This record gives sequence, C-alpha cells and structure tokens, in this order.
Amino acid sequence: MANKLDSKIPSGPIESKWKNTKFGYKLVNPANKRKHSVIVVGAGLAGASAAASLGELGYKVKVFCQHESPRRAHSVAAQGGINAAKNYQNDGDSVYRLFYDTVKGGDFRAREANVYRLAEVSANIIDQMVAQGVPFAREYGGTLANRSFGGAQVSRTFYARGQTGQQLLLGAYSEMMRQVDTGNVELRYRREMLDLVIVDGKARGIIVRNLLTGEIESHEADAVVLATGGYSNVFFLSTNAMNCSATAAWRAHKRGAYFANPCYTQIHPTCIPVHGENQSKLTLMSESLRNDGRVWVPKAVGDKRHPNEIPESERDYYLERVYPSFGNLAPRDVASRQAKYRCDEGRGVNETGKAVYLDFADAIKRLGEDKISERYGNLFEMYDKITGDNPYKMPMRIYPAPHYTMGGLWVDYNLESTVPGLFVAGEANFSDHGANRLGASALMQGLADGYFVLPYTIGNYLGGTKLEKVSTSNDAFKAAEDSVKNDVSKLMGIKGSRTVDSFHKELGHIMWEYCGMGRNEQGLKKALELIPKLREEFWHNVRLPGDANYLNVELEKAGRVADFLELGELMCRDALERKESCGGHFREEYQVDGEAKRDDEKFCHVAAWEYTGENKAEVRHQEELTFENVHLATRSYK
Amino acid sequence: MAGKHINLTLKVWRQKGPKDQGGFVEYHAKNVSEDASFLEMLDAVNEELVSKGDEPIAFDHDCREGICGACGFVIDGEAHGRLKSTTVCQLHMRNFKDGEVLTLEPFRAQAFPVIKDLMVNRSAFDRIISAGGYISANTGNAVDANAVLIPKADADEAMSSATCIGCGACVAACKNASAALFTSAKISHMALLPQGQVERKERAIRMVAAMDAEGFGSCTTTGACEAACPKDIQLTNISRMNREFFVASATKRPKHKDGGAG
Amino acid sequence: MSGFLGSTVGKKYLMGISGLIWAGFVLAHMAGNLLIFVSHDAYNSYGHALTSGNIIYVAEAVLVLALLTHIYTAVSLTIHNRGAKQQAYAAPAKGAKKVSLASRTMAAQGALVLVFIILHIITFKYGVYYETTVNGVVMRDLAKLMAEVFQSPAYVGWYVVCLILLGFHLSHGVGSSFQSLGLMEGTYRQLWKKLSCAYAAIVALGFIAQPLYLFFFAH
Repeated sequence: MANKLDSKIPSGPIESKWKNTKFGYKLVNPANKRKHSVIVVGAGLAGASAAASLGELGYKVKVFCQHESPRRAHSVAAQGGINAAKNYQNDGDSVYRLFYDTVKGGDFRAREANVYRLAEVSANIIDQMVAQGVPFAREYGGTLANRSFGGAQVSRTFYARGQTGQQLLLGAYSEMMRQVDTGNVELRYRREMLDLVIVDGKARGIIVRNLLTGEIESHEADAVVLATGGYSNVFFLSTNAMNCSATAAWRAHKRGAYFANPCYTQIHPTCIPVHGENQSKLTLMSESLRNDGRVWVPKAVGDKRHPNEIPESERDYYLERVYPSFGNLAPRDVASRQAKYRCDEGRGVNETGKAVYLDFADAIKRLGEDKISERYGNLFEMYDKITGDNPYKMPMRIYPAPHYTMGGLWVDYNLESTVPGLFVAGEANFSDHGANRLGASALMQGLADGYFVLPYTIGNYLGGTKLEKVSTSNDAFKAAEDSVKNDVSKLMGIKGSRTVDSFHKELGHIMWEYCGMGRNEQGLKKALELIPKLREEFWHNVRLPGDANYLNVELEKAGRVADFLELGELMCRDALERKESCGGHFREEYQVDGEAKRDDEKFCHVAAWEYTGENKAEVRHQEELTFENVHLATRSYK
Repeated sequence: MAGKHINLTLKVWRQKGPKDQGGFVEYHAKNVSEDASFLEMLDAVNEELVSKGDEPIAFDHDCREGICGACGFVIDGEAHGRLKSTTVCQLHMRNFKDGEVLTLEPFRAQAFPVIKDLMVNRSAFDRIISAGGYISANTGNAVDANAVLIPKADADEAMSSATCIGCGACVAACKNASAALFTSAKISHMALLPQGQVERKERAIRMVAAMDAEGFGSCTTTGACEAACPKDIQLTNISRMNREFFVASATKRPKHKDGGAG
Repeated sequence: MSGFLGSTVGKKYLMGISGLIWAGFVLAHMAGNLLIFVSHDAYNSYGHALTSGNIIYVAEAVLVLALLTHIYTAVSLTIHNRGAKQQAYAAPAKGAKKVSLASRTMAAQGALVLVFIILHIITFKYGVYYETTVNGVVMRDLAKLMAEVFQSPAYVGWYVVCLILLGFHLSHGVGSSFQSLGLMEGTYRQLWKKLSCAYAAIVALGFIAQPLYLFFFAH
C-alpha cells in the first residue's frame, strides 16, 4: 500500500522537469479524443478552465456545478489579485524567485517540483487571461499594472480593481461557455456530487443529486476531475461562501482517495469581526489595508473607552512592538496569531472582546483623507455598509477568520489522486502551498491546474490506460446510487429536534476553539471526544422538514454537515499527530517565543490519510519531502 | 457595533414549485439585531420555522459579500431592497425601522421562472453568454500580455461593464423584464477591448438574438435597471449595444462555402 | 436586415426614427402656428403656402408612414413586453429605485396622443371650410376656425391636457430615441436628457399658449 503515494516527480533539473515530462506524455489522436469523456465537478477557476481546455481539445466534457450558474463559484470573491513571474516591473522577479517565495511561504511543506511548475506557467496564465478579454488594471501607457502583496519583495500581482477573482472567473467561464456553444461541453446545473463510482479500480463516474428535483442521477466517464474547493466551512464561520463544502472531496476520500494534510488551514488576519449569534459568515478586508493601517489594542485589560479617547501612551501597537522590521506587514499566520494572543489576554475590543483595531488616523494625517480614499475607498465603503461605522472617523475593528485550506485530496505530480482516473485541481487538492498560502497565489494555482496541467496529464492518462466501456447500468453505479439513496432517506427519517445549523455551529465552535489558530494536545484530544459525540447526536436528532423529492435546502446542508463532522475529526487527528508547528498549523507546545517551530527531522513529509471504513480509525501514510533547491531554513520576521 | 434590536412583519411570497400557485404568508421577525444582514434576519426566521418542522423560506444566496450574484429578491417593489448599489446580502438591518411591514417577492419575469418561494431560475443568462459572450482564445496560444497595448481609459470602461455580477436585478426591476442591461454590459466589455474585435459583429448579432429568444422584453429606457443594479452598470451600455447591433446587421457579410484541402 | 427588423433592438430603431420624425414635425408645426400671435392673415398665408405645392403630399406621406411605423412597433413591443412580464409586484417601488412616471407610462400616453391626433385632424383639416382673401389671394381661413373652436372651455381644457401629455411623451421619447439609436455615450448622456426635457417643454408650452391666447384675449 505504501507505494500508493508515488509522487511521480520527474527526474532531472527542476527547470526542465515539466518540459521533459510533457514530451514524455502519451497523446490521444484528434479523432479519438471525441470518443473520450471527462467529468468535471465544480466550475470555479480550476474546473471551468479545465473544462474549457479539455473541450477545446475535443474531449466530451460534462461539467457539474451545485450552483444555478458556474459564475457563482466562490473563486468570484477573491479580491486582491493573481501572482505571475512576468517581471514587467524590472524589479528582479523571475520564475525561480516566485518558486522560492512560494516554497518558503509554505514553510517548507510543499513539493518543490509542483511549485516550480506553478511558477513556470504563471506567466502563461496572464497571457491567456488577457487574450480572453480580462480587463486587468493598466498604466496610462497601455501596459499592465502591478501591485505588491504580502511577503514578496517584488511587484508581481496583477489585478482588476478589487474584483480580480470575479474577472478571472468570468474569463474562464466565458471560455467554458464557448465550448458549451460548440457542443463539446455539457453543463449540468444545481447538481451536487454525492459519490464517486469506481469500476475495476478506476474512477469511472459520479452520482449526483439534482437539487431541484431530488432525483439521484448516475453519470459515467473515462476520467473524473474534482475541482470543488476547500473546506473552511468546517468552522461554520469563515470567509467561504455559504454553499462551499467538502462533500465531493470527502465522498471521494471514502472511496479511496487519500486526504493530505487536513490540518493545514489558513486563518486570514483582517476580517470583519463576529457581531452576534445570527452571524452567517465573515467578510474579508483586503490584506492591502495593512500597508497604511496600524494594528493596536489598549494596554490595559478591559479598557472599554471609545478608541479615539484612548491616548497614544495607553495603546499597544503590538505588531510593531513584536516585529520591528516587518511591523504591520507581518505575514498572515503570524499576524493572526498575535491578534489571538492579545484577545486571550483580555485586551480585545468590541463587546465580544474578540477584535483588534486597524487604525488609519496616522495615515490620514500624513497623506490626507483624499489619498486614503483613493487607495481604499471601496473597502472603507464596504466596511461602513456592514458595520455602520465610518473608518475615516474611527479605527476599523478586525479579527482573524478561516479563509483557505492548504490541505486537500492527495495528488501526484500529474494531479492524479490515489484513485486512478480521479484528478483533483485547485483548492481541493493539497499540492502547491505547503502549510501556508501566500496572498494572490490561489487564483494562480487554480488556473495553472485547469489550463496548463490537467489537459496534458489527463491526455496522458487516457492515452495510456486501457478503459473498458462502462455504462450507468453497471453494478458499481447501482450500488453507489443505492448507498446515496440510503443516506438521503436515513437523514430524512431521523425526524429529531435540532436544526442542521445548530449542529454546524456547534462543530464550528469546537473546531475554532481546539483546532483553530492555536492547537495543543489537550485541546485536540478534547475535540476528538466532542466531535464523535456530536456526530452521534446528529444522526439521531437532526430535524429536516419537507421531503427529498424536490428542492430541500435543509437536506443539502445536512449532507454537508454530516461530512464536516467526519472531516473535522480527521483534521484534529492530523493536527494531533503533527507534533510541530508550521505555517497555518500552530501547535502551542512547539514554539520559540510565540513563533512556529518546525521539526524537519520528524515531520518533513506530507501526511496522507486513508479511509478504512465506517467508525474505523484512518491510516496515516507519509510522503517524504526533499528540498534540493530551496534549503530548509527558519522563517523569521523580527 | 452596539446593536439595537427591532421587530418586523414580513409578507413573504411562498410557492412550493414552478407549477404551483403561490401566495403571501405573514411572518414576524422578532428581536432582529441591527448589525445583522437582511439574509441573516431571514436565516433566523428560517431557524424558527425549521425547529417547528415547517419548511424554510427558500432564497438563493452564496458568497454574502455582494459579488457572486446569487442572492436577490424584491423588497417592497425594489430589487435587492431599498439601498442603491447594494445586493440584498449587503443590506443591513440598520436601514430598517422597528415595526415596519415588508413585502418580499421573487424576481418577476417570464424568462426567470420561480423555482420555489423567492428563488428563480436565471439560467437564461448563461444561454445568452454561450451565444457569443466570449472571446475565442484557445489555451496556450496567447501572445505576451503586453504585446497589445490598451489605453487605460478603454480598459477602465471595459472593466466597469465587466463588473456585472449577473444577479438579474435589472430584469426584475424592469417593467418589461428586459435583459438589455445584462446583455449590453457583456457586449460593451468585449467591444471596448482590442481582443474582442474579431468576433465583435457576430457577437452583437447572436447575443441580441439569444436575448430575444429567451423571452425578455425590450428596453424602453425607464432606467429602472440602472437604479436597481448593485454594481452601477450604466444605461450607456444599452445604447452601445444597440449601435453595435445596428452596425453589425448593416455590414454583415454573407457566408462562404469552405473547401477541404489536399 | 430582416433579422434586424425582427429583433427588439431593430424595432426600437424604427420606433426611435419614426418618433424623431414626429418630434421634428411637432416642433415645426408649433413654430409655424406661433404666427397666430402675429395676425390671422399671417397665419392663413403660412397655411396656404404650405398646402399649395406638391410637397405637402410627400410630407403627409412621410408623416403617415412614420406614424404607422411608430404605432406598429409600439403595439408589437408592448405586447411582447407584457408577455415578458406577466406579473407585476404586489408592492410597487416607492423609494430610491423608483423611476419617473413619464418613462413608465409611454404606451398609455401614446394611445391618448394618437386619439388626440385623430380628433385634431378631424377638427381642423377636415373641419368647417371658411374662406378669406389675403393680398388678393383666396385661401382657407383656418384662423377663424381656430378662434371659434377655442371659444369652448371644454375644448381648451382637452387641448391643454393632451398637449401636456404630448410634452411628457416627448420628454422621455426624444432622449430615449437617441438611446435606442445608439447615440447616448457617457459624458453627454445627462446633457441629452436635459435637452430632451427642454425640447418637450418648448413644444408643449408653445402649443398650449395658442388656445389659451385665443380663449382669453382674442374675442
């Protein structure tokens, strides 16, 4: 079984790995391509770009999305931008530097070969998106504009106002719709994948529920691509959209796809804090605000004065104090942790005590209100809309929130999971960000996977694999369909007394408390007691109104929460087993003065979990990581 | 964020399925925090309904940041509610007074059939986009991104059109259920950029035809769409679409037969 | 071009062009009629000059064709639009997203204006034929007919109401035509809208002044 984790990293120098690999790949001749079918689940950046490219090549592609339209996918919400090693600014950027920054930013827990390929194709992504008509910001001379982003020393971030994700998604979506127009891509809306079908050891199809009619449908193909996003919603409150879930990935996991590094979650430092019990989600405020905003809390515990009445001498600008060289621009994981420490000390602000100030008074004094409004006007407006406070007059209140998950289904260099024929792209896989993702890299990875990697690797798979004809009348499909139908009727039949959301909220509290920004053995063990109990209660006491034969939002949510209740447990186990701190995974026992302390001796590996059956402990496998180009070193921001 | 609390009466359109008769049902939203968003207020109403074993009010929503375009219904005759340039997920309860009675209806248009309650089917928009709302750029063939210079003013104008989130409020607000603002925003976005020139005429002709075929009404320039648009898409786009369509129709070339090679 | 004319956008082009022809006509009509303020003879001579050549037939043909086109596209689009929106909202908009009454009721205004035009033509073009002689030329004494007609307060009232309606119709219609024809570009948009309103006001007030003048001052 151990050889299942063959990463298939090609040999040779890092610069030529991808080029040589592509040349070595098997090809499918044009006339045969239309005989092959590929299922793509999820139509965000990764899914839409993969579907568009595969459709262009002539494969028959079926795309499934749970939304009413692919344009709703949560890639749409990315604000800041997309990185690419174009070096348009002549500031010394290069493929190698982007590669280096990403490996280091990921705290040396990503695969070098994958990251290098990502950096290599980053420039093609920009060319591609511009050709599709993405209206990136431009200089007066007509060339593309760039901005700087957290951590990097070069300006390599391309952007379209504060809506880069939206514009890139619409670009990829329009290319996919072009393939819908040609008939190569078939789109199925409002379908949620509930199972993966495996025939002869290969992924050959999926089972979906038509969310409008409740019908359970089988769909077959020669290969399946999952591009279904991350699982931050396990925390209930996160910056993810309401419908983001782990369901597709989790069901594939239960059919044999290993789940890698589930404990690697990113907590973004600048989000609008929780206002009360009715809160449904958290809203991100762009990282760029920390360029001019100063983060502080009152020096005294429990100081309830209005922020403008607290004199300078009684404020603690803690990021500037602890990290004199990086100050307010400390990286995400570090800034988040420091905010938590201050609130744990009882110096948090807001009625909840779970917020810190992000203050623009100095910047306004220095640059004037006009300049600040020019830079951040739309963000200030959004803040005002949500909170009712004017950030020009009083400091913003912010707090960290779950934002992105670096963990995901394990894939090899070809983005193929441990189930042959099942490929995983975008946030749903684990491959490129290690233990911490840099800002503006998620969009890059999604598009790299979809446009520039999968079309090659899937071709290689289809060209080199003997695939018998299967139909949905095959026993494997029938069995999977029955199991899905069983789950649905089981859920509908519980008729308990608690709502789905109440379970989800409770799980979120447990995860946030014990597997959030800071984790320790005792807490994780506690969570591992609480979660199975909650799961047990869920399966006996959840209440679903209506029936399963038409649109039933509570049923949809219940299925997702049921999966989160299992995934949450695995996250805690993974966090417990990883006895080190790295990137977003911070074990309080392993630190030096509040900073993460890696253990490269014992944990320089990917942990990939194998599902072994209901109520059985998952088995942990390891893929060792080697660093031949970027040498292992400690990150320091002091 | 010192929250006050208010009570509201909601008259909500309930409709079981596309073919069922719908009607208004009255609900009371009690003790609503002013810091909650409108959808969070509805979440609370729904939690109460579900715990009584009743079906919750169905409405589309997803990102709750005003960018995905999933949410949208009509509050007191206004698509997305009373605040301009705002989606209903970003409309917060501090904009309401204690004791108000609000009427909630789904977007009304023949091309947007009701799915359930406040949820409508907007896939007509996807079909309009697939009728040429794209620039054909095969993967891997693009020239360097800076090889074609684009004046900043053009790029900015294109971006302003491209910012449409496809929520359908324009159609909902229009007394004719016209999709002109949506369609024209995409035609404008691409017509303004050099990359969009090759397919410019074909695109205008096909997208307008698709818009008509879906059963949307015509534009009578009431400006209701612009007023309701959460992204401030301008009526100018419609004028530009009309011109594009006219020029394209007037100068369209006939089709030629293709021959095989070799 | 058949696809063009069959489309909603094409129909709006026709509606806009035909509407602008009539908008131009009513301005000229109003301006010419202002001669009533000069003298009855001046007014009648102007009318005589207009109708004595063949050009009047061409003009009439163009106007009739434009009117029929306007009516046809209006009816066709209105039916199409009603079909597109079969259910209105139970609670009509009253806040920031409400739109002007003039723009919402173009079809109703149009129908009334059409009734007015027909009655107006019956009253004047096909009305009582008085004769007069100006500078030795025998011609129709339309001024007399006009002065007679506008002795009735009901008639004056009806005219004033209809002309205000015409003003409304023009205030939205002229600007909307430019919009439909694809001529409303960014920076000038507000200017076009204002010009459209000014145009409508001039036409409506210019016309209204005539029956009021005849009623109050020209006994």
